[in-house]
Amino acid sequence: MKGAVRRLSTSFFLLLTITATLHAQDLASAEKRTTVRKLDNGLTVIVMERPEAPVFSFTTIVNTGSAQEVPGITGLAHMFEHMAFKGTTKVGTSNYTAESAALDKVEEAYGAYDRARRDPVNHDEAKIAELDKAWKASMDDAQKYVVPNEFSKIVDRAGATGVNAFTNDDETTYFYSMPSNRVELWAYLDSERFLHPVFREFYKERDVVYEERRMRTESTPIGRMIEQALAAAFTAHPYGQPVVGWPSDLQSFSATDAKAFFAKYYVPANMVVAIVGDVKASEVMPIVEKYFGRLPKGAKPDPLRTVEPQQTAERSVILREMSQPVYFEAYHRPAETDPDSATFDAIETLLSEGRTSRLYRSLVRDKKLAAVAAGFNGFPGRKYPNLFAFFAIPTAGHTASEMADPIHAEIERLKTEDVTADELQSLKTRAKAGLLRQLDNNSGLAIQLATYQTIFGDWRELFHEVDKIDKVTPADIRRVASATFVPTNRTTAMIESAKKPTASAPKGDTK
Amino acid sequence: MKSLRMHAIAAAVTLLTLPAFAQVSDYHDIKTQPLHQIQQPQPKRVQLANGMVIFLMEDHELPLINGGARIRGGARDIAAEKTGLAGIYGSAWRTGGTESKTGDELDDFLEARAARVETGAGDDSTNVSMSVLKGDFDTVFPIFVDVLQHPAFRQDKVDLAKTQSTTAISRRNDDAKGIADREMSKLGFGADSPYARVPEYATVNSVTRDDLVAFHKKYVHPNNIILSFVGDFDSAAMEKKLRAAFGAWPKGPQASTAAPTGGTPARAGVYYVAKDDVTQSNIYVVHGGTGVLRNNPDFYAVSVMNEILSGGFSGRLMNDIRTQRGLAYGVGGGVDATFDRPGLFHIWMGTKSGSTVEAVNALRVDLTDLQSKPFSADELAQAKESILNAYVFTADSKAKVLSQRVTLEFYGYPADYYQQYPARLQAVTADDVARVARKYVQPGQTSVLVVGKAKDFDKPLSTLGAVTTLDITIPEGTAKAATAGGTAAGSKPSTSSAEGVALIKKVRDFVGGKAKIDAVQATHSVGSVQAQTPQGPMEMDVDSVVKYPASSRRVVKMPMGEMTMVSTPDAAFMSSSMGSQDMPGSQRTTMQNEMRADIINVLQNIDNPKYMFTATGAEKAGTVDAQALTIDADGSAVKWLVDPSSGKILRRISQSPRGESITDLTEWKTFDGITLPISFTTTTGGQPSGSGKLTTIEINPTVDPKMFEKPAAK
Repeated sequence: MKGAVRRLSTSFFLLLTITATLHAQDLASAEKRTTVRKLDNGLTVIVMERPEAPVFSFTTIVNTGSAQEVPGITGLAHMFEHMAFKGTTKVGTSNYTAESAALDKVEEAYGAYDRARRDPVNHDEAKIAELDKAWKASMDDAQKYVVPNEFSKIVDRAGATGVNAFTNDDETTYFYSMPSNRVELWAYLDSERFLHPVFREFYKERDVVYEERRMRTESTPIGRMIEQALAAAFTAHPYGQPVVGWPSDLQSFSATDAKAFFAKYYVPANMVVAIVGDVKASEVMPIVEKYFGRLPKGAKPDPLRTVEPQQTAERSVILREMSQPVYFEAYHRPAETDPDSATFDAIETLLSEGRTSRLYRSLVRDKKLAAVAAGFNGFPGRKYPNLFAFFAIPTAGHTASEMADPIHAEIERLKTEDVTADELQSLKTRAKAGLLRQLDNNSGLAIQLATYQTIFGDWRELFHEVDKIDKVTPADIRRVASATFVPTNRTTAMIESAKKPTASAPKGDTK
Repeated sequence: MKSLRMHAIAAAVTLLTLPAFAQVSDYHDIKTQPLHQIQQPQPKRVQLANGMVIFLMEDHELPLINGGARIRGGARDIAAEKTGLAGIYGSAWRTGGTESKTGDELDDFLEARAARVETGAGDDSTNVSMSVLKGDFDTVFPIFVDVLQHPAFRQDKVDLAKTQSTTAISRRNDDAKGIADREMSKLGFGADSPYARVPEYATVNSVTRDDLVAFHKKYVHPNNIILSFVGDFDSAAMEKKLRAAFGAWPKGPQASTAAPTGGTPARAGVYYVAKDDVTQSNIYVVHGGTGVLRNNPDFYAVSVMNEILSGGFSGRLMNDIRTQRGLAYGVGGGVDATFDRPGLFHIWMGTKSGSTVEAVNALRVDLTDLQSKPFSADELAQAKESILNAYVFTADSKAKVLSQRVTLEFYGYPADYYQQYPARLQAVTADDVARVARKYVQPGQTSVLVVGKAKDFDKPLSTLGAVTTLDITIPEGTAKAATAGGTAAGSKPSTSSAEGVALIKKVRDFVGGKAKIDAVQATHSVGSVQAQTPQGPMEMDVDSVVKYPASSRRVVKMPMGEMTMVSTPDAAFMSSSMGSQDMPGSQRTTMQNEMRADIINVLQNIDNPKYMFTATGAEKAGTVDAQALTIDADGSAVKWLVDPSSGKILRRISQSPRGESITDLTEWKTFDGITLPISFTTTTGGQPSGSGKLTTIEINPTVDPKMFEKPAAK
């Protein structure tokens, strides 16, 4: 054992030089193959050539997420993401002129119905039912012109894979991959969906999105816990709102609301497109310019005003559930652009990555209290000041609250003891290798390049991240841990097992 | 207002830019050039004299080397009583270290180099993988070899893996989709199928370090291994290194390549699992006895059918259930396409509690449509083009090409299988799809499974058909006793308790005392048994010879003929007028476990450290107060309820694949000074499962060793 440790230490130095060289090569090679252009309308386009196979992947990031929502429209950024698959004035319709008129009537009818049902004073059930009926009739009428799922059918049939999108607190991200002879089809379709979007089948899709909320949030204990934990941790900043939206908003907002949101945030200056694969920048850039250049210029949205005030009191959320216990705690940390971000990342790795990580060795391996124990940061987003969170899944027979002390013991160690040279070197080496291992697939690269361009204004930051981690010192870790991991900055959330109730009546003849 | 302005600007920009740039205004006008092909090289195949197959694929894009060994034998090959063994093995194989280094030392060494050597277990194989920066290959590769050949399975890490397994069991009913997946497999394959059974506390607790060592010894031989490496190396140099490392490794027993079968699918019906903390029902429509092998000519038509039914947003299900009806976020499924094992037809969806019955009815219509609504030319073209145009993605990296080649080798498929695929898929016609839809999907045979909160359903489930409620309570097994004893959940006691030993000695006195019992070498008993079968009660005459410690021969006369079952330490077979065959692994284990827990055997092994006795408190056997005695009979777990005053065993409790098996020993009789039970009744999983009565028991009969030999094949 001792011998092994000594060998490790001497080889570290050698290792460091090897990986440092590799990293410099990666950046040089990536830079050589990457072209960035800002179009006249403000859209940023990144093309990285990677001719490994005749395919390409793209990512479009709109620098807008649920953090741009205010009460009443929570969930709308995500709702728009769903609408972006509903087609355009040419795709998804049999007669757009007629459809457009019908959709206007849907909005009118919905507005009347929605105002009536939310009116607290003159609540007239008969009137509401009548307006509801009229609204549904208007939807049936509009439906006549819909060619369902035509957008998806076109891209599927052209050989697209991984056709999807996601919305988080910070961004809305659209992506898929195609054979490399379909670049023009992609550029046409994906510019059209932001140039001529049509908000068809909006209210049916709203039901679909509500099913997504039931699946991810309402019907899983951890989903319910996270929603409560974030609502407790943030009192002012929208990071406390669920991305999928609060139930009332999700059952109320309209296509008119979505249009307004779209007009404000889906402007080219607020968007980045990244393409990676078997493409030549000299050929692809003019095509992208030709199609995406059509997006009308618009004012870049103002930065968010609200900043989460400093937390001064410890907060706690307890869920008494019919399920097994879970422990979660989180501390506020600054935004991703803060100089200490690399130190937070180093702490995350030290505590959580692999079987050498401190939380694994303490809670899982030695104390056998937890099946999983880890910390993660950048939660729920990274763009604004966010959370460094810890969670533990207790092993059978142990409670959630038993997790707190051993986690806090590891946190105290960060504050009072210098991290060892071996530990620090190991995590730096892994950061470099981790970067290398991300470079072997188009879709992963496209998302990374677009994300770093969005957050930092420069895709190269993806490669500079490891330089920043390389500069982290033991003193940085103690300083950052001491400032961050204090009780007044903490929100705790626990699932505690309630007494098992008797199961609901079987046989189904209950209602 | 804003949107109007935006549209005005958009229109202006479009007008201005149209003449300058000749972009198309309709996607139909876009011209598509033929896809230029980049031919991916095929990996180099090498076979060593000891049978090991090696594939090498150079990929010089990044300075990395990734590789692995895929080894025949996995979870499906393990006896039902040890379900969970594969997962524990896959974990402790790496964490338990090698003979020369602990797992923790390996963790330190590898993570400092950002290298990985990991192990895992799947359904039909296990694996060791490695990933390393090119420059570290020569330092890390010896660890890969060491893990493969000399694992230590240290006890602390075996215990850790078992704790992880029992924790997973304790949490399995927290996830509604997880419940649905599990119960759906049981309905489709049968709860006793190797493809549906799940680890229980009892099966996990029964797994020992010896089991892991035995599993490794059984399977990890070069002739059962396919090795593959991809990355920044020179193939000739790599081949040399691999030959040097593995060339002298001697061959071992060949693992079977046959996929096990077995399992009785549930009767078609409506099945309900109560889950009260959800707002959404998880729904499956499923039937077993189908699935298509990928080397079956029907595979291509089934693929097209699955794509039409469920290919993303273009498929019928998504279009109907999600887009048109707004009933679900997720919906999908189809006929399983597998390389070597049976499959299911299944469709999943999640819908709000209040539209559960509506959604099932909608799914049923889509299923009927599958057989009655013609597949249109457009649907066929949409499905085939979607698959074929995206086919380039199946080989868009060298690692993928390598992994495909390993898969084909593993299942014995032709090496050019994937090259043949596009032409075969292209040949599929609408008639083919209609034919396979009728052949592989039986809407009338499907079961509906609903996991949700019945109180909130739109209509009673019974409107869909007779409802069977499934009880998903997690069987306690022996985990409870272990936790109560203060040890980590899932680990069993390692020594007997004083009370346990006192109680077993009391039983020994009741049966005949140490001297008489130790003198028993064999017994011969004759009687009759009435068993409950799915076809009704069945009478059987049983003639049984036991030769202690580990051999038994049971002749069962049934209405349809006679069956002989023999189990010895070396073999286990059944024979009848139809010939003889080896017993399936699970049945063999059952017989061996029964033998270890046989009353005489247990009483002869009170001092054997492999037999552990724990008194686990007062318990009622029916209305009689009794003392519970939990026995670990060399890995076979059984609980006896003992009358503390007499030492008589009143009840015997054990776990069986169908649930807890409780046998009341109702009548005892003495033969040559040995008192043994002659009447018993058994319930399994709460249902009466059989009863029996012995007419004679002969102590130390003459035993012809030939009666344990397998008859020669006819």
